[in-house]
Amino acid sequence: MHIPDGYLGPQTYMVLDVVMIPIWAVAASKVKKSLKARQIPLMALAAGFAFIIMMFNVPVIGGSTGHAVGATLIAILLGPWAATISVSIALTIQALLFGDGGITALGANCFNMAVVMPFVGYYLYRLVVGKSGKINRKIAASGVASYVAIVVAAIVAGVEFGIQPLIAHTASGAPLYAPYPLKVAVTAMFTEHLLFFGPVEAIVTMGVVAALAKQESALLAMKPASKSLRWVWAGFAALVLLTPIGVLAQGTAWGEWGVNQFASQLKLSVPVGLEKLSAFWTAAIPAYAPAFIRNPFVGYLFSAIVGASLCIVVVWGMGKLISSRKIDDDEQ
Amino acid sequence: MMMNNNRGKPRKSLARRTADSIGHHIVEVLENEEIAAEKGFLQGIDPRSKLGAILIFSVTASVVRSPWLLAAMSILALVLASFSAVDPASFARKLWGSAGLFATLLALPAATQFITPGPVLFQLGPVAITQPGALGAVTLILRVVASAGFALLIVWTMRWTDLLSALSQMKVPDIIVATLAMAQKQIVSLMRTVEQIHLARESRTLGKGTTAENRRWVTERIAFVLQKSVKTADDVYDAMLARGYSGSMRVLHRTSATVRDRSYVALSAGIAVLFIGIDRMVMR
Repeated sequence: MHIPDGYLGPQTYMVLDVVMIPIWAVAASKVKKSLKARQIPLMALAAGFAFIIMMFNVPVIGGSTGHAVGATLIAILLGPWAATISVSIALTIQALLFGDGGITALGANCFNMAVVMPFVGYYLYRLVVGKSGKINRKIAASGVASYVAIVVAAIVAGVEFGIQPLIAHTASGAPLYAPYPLKVAVTAMFTEHLLFFGPVEAIVTMGVVAALAKQESALLAMKPASKSLRWVWAGFAALVLLTPIGVLAQGTAWGEWGVNQFASQLKLSVPVGLEKLSAFWTAAIPAYAPAFIRNPFVGYLFSAIVGASLCIVVVWGMGKLISSRKIDDDEQ
Repeated sequence: MMMNNNRGKPRKSLARRTADSIGHHIVEVLENEEIAAEKGFLQGIDPRSKLGAILIFSVTASVVRSPWLLAAMSILALVLASFSAVDPASFARKLWGSAGLFATLLALPAATQFITPGPVLFQLGPVAITQPGALGAVTLILRVVASAGFALLIVWTMRWTDLLSALSQMKVPDIIVATLAMAQKQIVSLMRTVEQIHLARESRTLGKGTTAENRRWVTERIAFVLQKSVKTADDVYDAMLARGYSGSMRVLHRTSATVRDRSYVALSAGIAVLFIGIDRMVMR
C-alpha cells in the first residue's frame, strides 16, 4: 500500500501532506500528555516495531507469504494517537532510508496507514470487545478490526489512485498520473486486500494478541484514545475555513458531476439507474451554492459549515455510543 | 518433529527467506552510509540545501506534463548521481529494476483501448494500443522514474545523522527529530535481533514446518519483539536520565550554508522554473 512518487498528482498529495500536519501536531500533543517523559524512547521503539512487523514473512495458503502493516495492533496496544506517530515515523524512515514509498506521497501514505488504519481498527476493536473482558473476544475483535481497517485503508488508497484520471489528463485524454479509473482502482485495491493482505493482517494481529494474553497480559490493557478533542475540533474548523479554496479549483471535482457531466467526465453512457435516481433526489444545497446566497465564496463556506455540522453530529453520536460501552480490562 | 511439505524444487525455508531479506536491508543501510561518506558533488552540499533542492526537483517532476521533459529530468538525476560518487550503471539498474519495472507493468494495461479509449496506434491481436493510452503509460513510467531518481539521491548521498541535523536546523520539532534518530538506531538493532531469531530457527530445525506451525511461530516472535521493544524503551529512558537528559536534544554539528550551497538551491529553483515554463508555454 506504499504509494511511490509519481502516482499521485500535486492536487492530491499536497492536500494530504497539509492535512497530516495538524494530525501529527495533535498526535504529538496527545502522546506527550498520556505517556509523559518516557514518550520519546517508547515512540521510537514503537516506530521500530512498526517497521519490523512489515519485514516478517507470514505464511498464508499454498506456500505463499505476505507481510502485515500492524497499524491496528499498535493502536490496540499503545492507543490510536501513538500508532499515528509510530507508523508515520516508520513510513518516513522507509521513504528516506530505503526509498520505499514516495517523498511527496508521504502525507498520503501516512494518512492511509497511520491515520485511517489505526483509528478504524482501534474504534472497531473497542466496539466489538464491548463490555466483555474475555480474551477470546479480544482476539476475535482484534482480527475483525485489523481486517476491516486494512480493507478501509486500501479503499481510501484506491480512491486516491482512482481520482487521478479525472482530475489530471491531457486534452487527448491521456492520464498524467495513476491511469486507472475509480471503479478499476478501488476494485483492485479492495479485492486484493479483502482476499490476501486482510487475512494476513488479521492473522498477525490475532496471533500477537493471543501470545501477549499468555505471556504479558498487561500490555493488552486498553489505552485511552483521548479525553480532550479540542485540537481535533480546531483542525476541523481550520479545514472548514479553508474550503473556499475549492471555488478556485477549475473543473468539476471527483464525485461532484451531475448526470449530464457523467458522460463527459467518465466517457461512459449514463446508467439508467443513475438517471432515475438523479430525478428522484434533489439536493438541499445543489452544487454547494445555496440559491439565497449570491456570492459563491460565501455560499461554499456556508455549505461547508452545514456539511461539517452534520458530520460533527454523526461523529459525536458515534462517539457517545462507543464511550457508553465501558471496557472491562480484567483478564479472564 | 517438523513436517517437510516440500514437494517440488528445493525452496528456501520461511525462516531463511526472512533472515535473508532482513540481512539484505542491513547491508543496504551500511552501503548507503558508505556512499554518503564518499567525496562527491552532492555530498559536499549542505544537507539543508541538498534536501531543499531535491524536494524542488521531486515536486517539479510531479508537475511537468511533457514526457520529453520528464525524460530530461530522469537524465538530470542520473547526471547528479554520477557527479556524486554513485556508479551511474548501478543507479540506473536500481531505478529501472524497481520503480521503472513496477511502473511499466502497471502502466501497460492502461495503454489499451479497454482503459484509455482513443485513436488506435497499433493492434496486437484483440488488443489495441491507443494513442492517449501509450502517451499516458510513457508519461507515468518517466514520471515515476524521475521522481524515484531524486528520492534515491537523498537515500544515497546523505548520512542519516546529517539528515537529522538538517531537519533540526529547519525547525522540525525536537521530539520528532529525537524520535527519528532513536527509531533508526533501534530499527537496525531490532533487525539484527529478528535476523538472529530466524537464523537460530533455521539452524535448529530439519524441515520447514506446516503453514499453521510457521504462522504461530511468526506471530509469537512478533509478540516477543514487541515485549523486547517495550523493555528496551524503558532501559533507553533510564540511560538517558543517567546521562543527564533534560528534555531537549542537542545537535552536535551545526552546519552553515555557504555561497556554493545557496547557489545550488537557486540554480535548482531556476531549473525547476525553466522546466515548468517550457512545459506550460512551449509544449502545450
